[in-house]
Amino acid sequence: MSEPHPRRAAITGIGVVAPNGATTENFWKSTKEGISVLAPVTREGCEHLPLRVAGEVRDFEASSAVEERYLVQTDRFTHFAMAAADLALDDARLGQADTGDSPFSVGVVTAAGSGGGEFGQRELQRLWGKGSRFVGPYQSIAWFYAASTGQISIRRGFKGPCSVVAADEAGGLDAIAHAARAVRRGTDVIVAGATEAPLAPYSVVCQLGYEELSTVEDPERAYRPFTEGACGFVPAEGGAMLVVEEEASARERGARVRATLAGHAATFTGASRWEQSREGLAEAIRAALDEAGCAPEEIDVVFADALGVPEADRAEALAIVDALGSHGRRVPVTAPKTGIGRGYCAAPVLDTAAAVLALENHLIPPTPNVFDICHDLDLVSARARAAELRTALVLSRGLMGSNSALVLRHGAADAS
Amino acid sequence: MSDRITVEELAELMKKAAGITVVPEDLQQQYNSGFDALGIDSLGLLGIVGELENRYGTPMPPDAERSKTPRQFLDLVNSALMTGA
Repeated sequence: MSEPHPRRAAITGIGVVAPNGATTENFWKSTKEGISVLAPVTREGCEHLPLRVAGEVRDFEASSAVEERYLVQTDRFTHFAMAAADLALDDARLGQADTGDSPFSVGVVTAAGSGGGEFGQRELQRLWGKGSRFVGPYQSIAWFYAASTGQISIRRGFKGPCSVVAADEAGGLDAIAHAARAVRRGTDVIVAGATEAPLAPYSVVCQLGYEELSTVEDPERAYRPFTEGACGFVPAEGGAMLVVEEEASARERGARVRATLAGHAATFTGASRWEQSREGLAEAIRAALDEAGCAPEEIDVVFADALGVPEADRAEALAIVDALGSHGRRVPVTAPKTGIGRGYCAAPVLDTAAAVLALENHLIPPTPNVFDICHDLDLVSARARAAELRTALVLSRGLMGSNSALVLRHGAADAS
Repeated sequence: MSDRITVEELAELMKKAAGITVVPEDLQQQYNSGFDALGIDSLGLLGIVGELENRYGTPMPPDAERSKTPRQFLDLVNSALMTGA
């Protein structure tokens, strides 16, 4: 009797709703061209706040993406999640006809940093402005950071394992890893990812307490990690959802295996303790490589966390070399998020989407607004760089101390 | 505004409180169907009760939010409005 093949998790669908594109195609076009869409904050009620620049999703019409009941019952971050999930499922060619007969074979995993701030603020203003009888019942679920998992599951009729990862910004990567584990344990398909909508007045005020937040007014100077001009990070909204499924059955049904999820690990080193994040991030990289059975030299590109705080940038640059050895100084590193901002949990999922697209196109997207690098890294800065890419490493750290690393392999690389 | 809540008003409240659009004629036809079939969940019905209480300035019976059908719901809230008036 032969050994059964181990189940492996693959990405077969990508759905992006990002500041630089409300479809995956537009996102990749802007990302590879290094277009920065960071701009003055225009969201209602935010204009006068000290946060001057952000990555807003401008070409997204919620009413054409989701049904009216979800407009009334859920927050903007969930509208993004449902729209991105639709795009990802369409990309994977998984429709109602494919999943309708086996609802328990499809699950949902999301991560979120702050939940439905805009919805919650509106209802709390009714509470204090008019009284408790004027608070709508959907407040009980719409603000909740778990809302998107539940609403995607309800809207699409998915009854498989559903979860929410609460692990800081790095939770976006952890959600993808959680999906991979669920698939390895036996679930056919997991819709996984993260979206955020932190650009509402209450949410912005909450973020003003982060000393890492950039309040610089010039969009070209507000978010410049790995440079002498690093002055913090710019927040963003939007995000991405991925379809993660078992590789062999995906190939069997004729799906396009866009990448395989080869390894992941996460560590914790404490809130805003950036010097210590060096050790934590390096350990996460080593453990992710170990799970992937991947040598440091096999990493062809690194998608950096790129916080934009000098101490944190230094820790990340050193961690890459600590974990990858001398290869860490040669491997191309990129941070396309400097063109769109950091969408908290959504940021590493957008990086994962960009990494898959980079592997497919053999093109490393650049790091907008970053050119005068002051660390010992080969940062892809001005324009995209063509390269033979088989394996990518995506890094993420959270303000509260989580560090996470994910290893992705090109979908065609392991076709056997 | 009449003292009785009509099918028209219920349809308007369903749209406002739960985002469910149904024209009054259809709602009349589905008078004995379950709210779930119309797409109204328990939170949606609770929101409709809250709107009515604010609009008429009077509490609705506790059973209103547990009504299964539009008929059951309108019978309950209208009898409460009649006795309250």
